[in-house]
Amino acid sequence: MGKGGWTVAKKTAKKTPGRIDTPEPAFLENTPEALAASMRGHLRYTLGKSPDQVVTRDLYMALAFSVRDRLLDRQLETMERYRKAGAKRLYYLSMEFLMGRLLGNNLHGLRIWDQAREAVESLGGGLEETLEYERDAGLGNGGLGRLAACFLDSMAALDLPGFGYGIHYDYGLFKQEINNGFQREKPDTWVEEAAPLQMERMDLAHIVPLYGRIEHAQDFWGQYNPMWMDWQVVIGVPYDIPVPGYGGNTVNYLRLYKARPSQDFDIRIFNQGDYFAAVEGKIESEKISKILYPSDTFQSGRELRLIQEYFLVSCALKDIIRQFSAAHENFTLLPDKAAIQLNDTHPSLSVAELMRILVDEQWLTWETAWDITTRTIAYTNHTLLPEALEKWSVSLLEKVLPRHLQIIHEINQRFLNHLGELWPGDEDRARRMSLIEEGEDKKVRMAHLAMVGSHSVNGVSALHTELVKHTLVPDFYELSPGKFNNKTNGITPRRWLLAANPDLNDLLEEAIGPGFITDLNLLRKIEPLADDPAFCEKFLAVKKKNKEGLARVLFDSALVRVDPDSLFDIQAKRIHEYKRQLLNVLAIVDEYLALVDEGMEPPVSKTYVFAGKAAPGYRTAKNIIKLIHCVADVVNRDRKARDLIRVCFAPDYRVTLAEAMIPAADLSEQISTAGFEASGTGNMKFALNGAVTIGTLDGANIEIKDEVGEENIYIFGLLEKDIARITAEGTYRPFEIYRGHAGVRRVLNAIRDNRFCPDDPGLFAWVDRYLLSPQDRYMHLADFPDYTETRARAGQDYENRTGWAKKAILNTARMGYFSSDRTVREYSEEIWGLKPVPKP
Amino acid sequence: MRIEAEKTGDILIVTPMEKSIDASISADFKARMLEEIENGARRIVLDLSHVDFLDSSALGAMVSALKALGGVGSLAICGIREPVVNVFKLTRLDRVFRLYEGRSSACSVLSGNPGEEPEY
Repeated sequence: MGKGGWTVAKKTAKKTPGRIDTPEPAFLENTPEALAASMRGHLRYTLGKSPDQVVTRDLYMALAFSVRDRLLDRQLETMERYRKAGAKRLYYLSMEFLMGRLLGNNLHGLRIWDQAREAVESLGGGLEETLEYERDAGLGNGGLGRLAACFLDSMAALDLPGFGYGIHYDYGLFKQEINNGFQREKPDTWVEEAAPLQMERMDLAHIVPLYGRIEHAQDFWGQYNPMWMDWQVVIGVPYDIPVPGYGGNTVNYLRLYKARPSQDFDIRIFNQGDYFAAVEGKIESEKISKILYPSDTFQSGRELRLIQEYFLVSCALKDIIRQFSAAHENFTLLPDKAAIQLNDTHPSLSVAELMRILVDEQWLTWETAWDITTRTIAYTNHTLLPEALEKWSVSLLEKVLPRHLQIIHEINQRFLNHLGELWPGDEDRARRMSLIEEGEDKKVRMAHLAMVGSHSVNGVSALHTELVKHTLVPDFYELSPGKFNNKTNGITPRRWLLAANPDLNDLLEEAIGPGFITDLNLLRKIEPLADDPAFCEKFLAVKKKNKEGLARVLFDSALVRVDPDSLFDIQAKRIHEYKRQLLNVLAIVDEYLALVDEGMEPPVSKTYVFAGKAAPGYRTAKNIIKLIHCVADVVNRDRKARDLIRVCFAPDYRVTLAEAMIPAADLSEQISTAGFEASGTGNMKFALNGAVTIGTLDGANIEIKDEVGEENIYIFGLLEKDIARITAEGTYRPFEIYRGHAGVRRVLNAIRDNRFCPDDPGLFAWVDRYLLSPQDRYMHLADFPDYTETRARAGQDYENRTGWAKKAILNTARMGYFSSDRTVREYSEEIWGLKPVPKP
Repeated sequence: MRIEAEKTGDILIVTPMEKSIDASISADFKARMLEEIENGARRIVLDLSHVDFLDSSALGAMVSALKALGGVGSLAICGIREPVVNVFKLTRLDRVFRLYEGRSSACSVLSGNPGEEPEY
């Protein structure tokens, strides 16, 4: 046998006597009766409940198990279909999957919503009440994780063999509580009730080596043989969450790995007799998949985060190789059978890990392995913030992953040699592009590793991609312009229209027939109805109903009563300086002061709603939350203002809350400093649900404007090129704006004078300092005048009921481009080389 | 640790009878291997057919044995199962140890039969 072809003495698999046919019992049918029978079975035999003991939780669990049965049935059929077709597969590696609630979405996916309602009612429950029991799978911080979830939905809907790979965190993003206006973080324990939504696959567990050292040895042939010795090992156990495509013909999966101590743990307890030491070791191992790190915190240097990233990469790559090896021996075929997409730099150790597998374990030459790796892996960039580009210290990598560091050094050496051939003597360029950042504490630049090791580098909106090419990494663009491409983000209409806004979905179906939910461009057919007063009234009636629903949510969660007839102006997203919630607050203060101090009433009554979490260590973001609450307290209590302006902060923003907020919005705040938001997807969700955007020309707002037309969006503010120029020239002078603009002066003076913190003077002294500093890179005050004028215009337009309805309808009608089906189709055709494998 | 050892001609066949060789017993394993070498074993076949799992300390013990043999002896490994092969590949020890499927192949090559190449 040749190198690497070691024949293994495999364990003899125990064969099941006889043949197990696919069961087709009546209880797997999709009738209400079959679902009810299935639920009764699970109530008795899975949950051990007699009919008189059943409570809502039991109904939820029984329904979820019953739906899982159906999903697994279809998933098995789908996998067999892919296998028979010899289909190429896409593996989407992401540290975050913000799935939200799954059960309701699965009912829509399988198209058994009404049957489920009947089944639950026949058992004495209500469907909505039962679904409310589910906790969000909040395994993500925001846009990046939700994008991954939307992509999974679209891949299944398009019958594409695409699978998500991530970490099965015990604790998702923290639960946000508000105490006296301050954010408090509480653990989110979604996993406690997750059993019926997923399937543990212990049979597919992998070992993950960590730490150790390199022993520099020689092999049989006298060649250098770096041996990775003295590693420790943890086990990655996959949990599969079925992902149904709309209609349920294709069911893919999201595979999330949970860390467990190595399999000899129990043996060691008894052998060593040192129970406590063994248990401590067990806890250490399990820490790896314990928590999702919030973004915006200082992560570099955190060993556990690095280990998490490698844990995902190692488990995913082993699984990919296992699947490939089941059908193929020749690894040069890997790029024809597998595509790996890196969702941001977090999984970019994949480049080194795939090289290690191919060179060390499969005995391929470096050149062959590199060719395979770079043709298999592709990378999506998600941020332009330099501080958010990951770097890991060389010393930490050497400690945790010594063999990978060697491989990274080798990749870098060959890469620098290549640069030297192209640009002889250009040491500056080599230093800028090197995978290693030199300095006292040398660092590995993970984005460089991802770019060098990928055949495709994409941005997530047209503007963002241009900035990646020309501002963020121009050297890399110059080196390989063909690698760079744009894939504007998208959202799944199944979650963000059908599930979140069923009344609007019904109205649209009534107007133009079904079909748009899988071909969102069909929504263009409602354009003519924007001039039909009867349709406008129906559209507004749906909006009103959604606003009434949100009003109840706001009262229940924040104890703020709001008027559903007022204009709902919503900003819901992570709290971050660049997203400029602060600018929104300033404008609210401006309107409030104009009203109470000068008697200038706004043309319409307004409700401002904020929602979003601040990373626990992000002090400015947390201060902004406090400011919002204090402004809300003053405004909402002021008799002169309270009927015309209400301000509310909805706590614990998550997918489920977004599903209540987005359909209720009239105006969608997308006001980031131009050049900072990669794409945004909230902007698309709001617009699809008939909210009109007020925003800067940033991220995907630009493309939204192109689609909906300038007359149906409120654009304001400096352009990206203006911001870049002012920053480069150092000519941002906020104090001059303060001196020259009465509104700015009035607002800042009021805040400085403790008008919003009378009992705690000085609490908001930071606002003044922050906004008047030339170092405010988000240039709040520069955009303030234009922003307030544009808001005023939007308020006036809202007075014209049918005019506003027309804008809202045209926003909905023209969102076809922003379906994640379109995005995934582009990835599939232009990067992954995937073909749909539909059910015959 | 349970280890069986038997001689076939001048070849010593060492068979660990444990399912797992990890840090809790690898010191015993190493000591036993070194003891056999000290007692004159020069051609050793290590039969891992009972072993499902090896950790890095077990691999370290094998490397120590190989080093102890120096240039004057040889060590071959046989009966290796898939999870164990994987850790040899991970560490690139499959380029240092002679790995064979069955005992007979391993014994044959240690007996100096030139027709038997390592089966990796």
